[in-house]
Amino acid sequence: MPQICAHQRPKVEVNASHRYGNLLVHDRLAFAVAQNEFVCICGPSGCGKTTLLDCLAGILKPTLGSVLIDGTPANPKRHSISFVFQEPSTFPWLTVFDNVASGLRIKGAPAAAVTAKVREIIDIVGLTGFEAYYPHQISGGMKQRVAIARAFATDADLILMDEPFVSLDQPTRERMQREVLDIWRRRVRTVIFVTHNIEEAVFLGDRILILSEKPAHIVAELLVPLEHPRDPLSNEFMRLRSECVHWLLPSRASGGVERTADKGRQILADPRV
Amino acid sequence: MAAMTSAEDKRRPAMSFAVGSRLATAAWNAFAVAVALALWQTAAVLIGSPFFPGPIKVAQAFIHLAVHGDISGVSLWSHAWASIERVLVGFGLGVLGGVPLGLLMGLYPSVYARTRAVLEPFRFIPPIAWIPLAIIFFSGLTRFAFLIFLGAFFPIFTSTLVGVARVEPIHRKVGLVHGASKGWILSHVVVPTVLPDILAGMRVGLGAAWLTIVAAELAGGISTGLGRMMTNYAELIQVPEVIVGMLLIGFIGFLMNEVLLLIEKYLFRWRWQVSL
Repeated sequence: MPQICAHQRPKVEVNASHRYGNLLVHDRLAFAVAQNEFVCICGPSGCGKTTLLDCLAGILKPTLGSVLIDGTPANPKRHSISFVFQEPSTFPWLTVFDNVASGLRIKGAPAAAVTAKVREIIDIVGLTGFEAYYPHQISGGMKQRVAIARAFATDADLILMDEPFVSLDQPTRERMQREVLDIWRRRVRTVIFVTHNIEEAVFLGDRILILSEKPAHIVAELLVPLEHPRDPLSNEFMRLRSECVHWLLPSRASGGVERTADKGRQILADPRV
Repeated sequence: MAAMTSAEDKRRPAMSFAVGSRLATAAWNAFAVAVALALWQTAAVLIGSPFFPGPIKVAQAFIHLAVHGDISGVSLWSHAWASIERVLVGFGLGVLGGVPLGLLMGLYPSVYARTRAVLEPFRFIPPIAWIPLAIIFFSGLTRFAFLIFLGAFFPIFTSTLVGVARVEPIHRKVGLVHGASKGWILSHVVVPTVLPDILAGMRVGLGAAWLTIVAAELAGGISTGLGRMMTNYAELIQVPEVIVGMLLIGFIGFLMNEVLLLIEKYLFRWRWQVSL
C-alpha cells in the first residue's frame, strides 16, 4: 500500500466537463489522484470512461475545465504516461519484442537500454521465448500481455488502463489482475484503471470512484483498506463489493431526479459547457 | 493432418516455405510449361500454316535474333534493354509520384475531395491516347517515361489512397499517448499499414507499364525496343520473330512481378496467410 502524504501535490487533478456536440458526456467531473495511488473508476457502460481516459492522456482536451498532471495540463509529450487499451492494440507488423519496445523507442531511449528493459518486462509478463513471434501467431490473452508490457516498459509515472481484461476469459483475467498488481508493486506508480467489473475494482484499487450515467459525475468514492493479496471471499471484500453494486444501481447512477433537473438548467444556461 | 498440426503451426515464428515444397512448386511449374509447349507444338503441326509457327520455329527465331540480331543488326538484347529501361524509368516515376500523393490525399481527405475533379478524369484517359501529344512534346526516353508514368501512376496512387483508410485509429492512439510526433505516426503506423496496398498497386502498375510501352513503341519514331522489333517483323509477315517479342515481354514482366512478390513476402512476413 503506497504512502499517501496529505501535503503532497496530487499526481492528477481533474475538474472538467466534456461534450460532443449536444451530448454532454462529463458534467463537472472532479477528482484527484495521489502519487502512487491505484484508483479504479467504475461506471455503467457508455458513461464516458474512454473519453475521460483520453482527457487524462492529454490526447483530448476537455471542453471546459482542466486535467492537470503534476500541476500542468496533461500533455503526452511532456508527461510520462502509458496507456493500455481495451481493444487489441499491438502493431501486427512488429514482433512481440518490437511491440514492447515501441513505447520506449518513441521516447528516444538508447538501444542498449531498450533491449535490457524489454527483456526484463517480457520476462515479467511471461512471454520469454515469444520475442520473435508476430501478433497473429499468439493468442488474444498473450497479445494483451504484450500491450501491458509495452505500457509498463516505459516506466511511466502514470499508467492509464481502459478495461484491459474485458476480452479475456475468467482464469486468464484473474491471472492478469495478479500480474498487474505484481508489476505495480515491483515499481510503485500511479495507476488509473477503468473497469465495469466491480469485483476487479475491489480486487485491485486503493480507492474506487463510481461514475453516474451520462452526463457523468462522481456519485461515490470508496476506500479499499485491504492488504494485497485480497481474498474475494472475505467479509470485508463482500461488503465493499455490495456497496459498489448499491451505488451502481440505475436509480443512483442516473443521479436522481433533482440532480438531472438541475443539470438540464445548467446545460441551457451555459453555452460553453 | 492439417487439423493435427494447426495448433503447432500457430506457435512457429516466421512462416517460411520449406525448401522441399518450393522445389515441388518449381517442378509443377516446369511441368505446366512443358504441357503448354507440347499442346502448342501439336496445334502448330495440325494447322500447318506458316502464320502459326510452333515453339520449335519460335525457338529457332529466338536463337537467331539473340546471336545475329535483327534485319538491321540490332541485337535482341538491345531491343529488350531499351524497353526495360523505359519501363523502369517510367514506373519509378509512377511510384515516386503515386505513393506520396496517395498518402497526402489519404491523410488529408478534404484536399482530395476538393481536387478530385481535376485528378480523377485523367485516370480514364488511356496512356495510349496521350501518344500523339507525347510525340509532339517529347522525344527519346522522356517520351516513353512520360507515357509509362501515366499508365503506372493511377493504380499506385489509387491503392495508396485506399490503403490509408485502413489505418487503425487505435494504432495512431498508441503513438499519441507515448508522445509520438506526426512524423513517427506517418513512418511507423501509416506506412506499415499502407505498404501491402502500395505493393499491390505497384504490381498492377507494372502491368500497365508494359501495356503502355509496347503500344508506345509500336507508334514509331524510334529504332529500338521490343515493340519496335515486333512491328518491323510484322511488316515483313515473319510471325516467329513477332512471337519471340511477345514471349520475351511476357517473360520479363513475369520476372519483374516475381521480384515484387519476393519483396512482398519478405516485407509482409507478419501477415497471416488466408486459406479456405
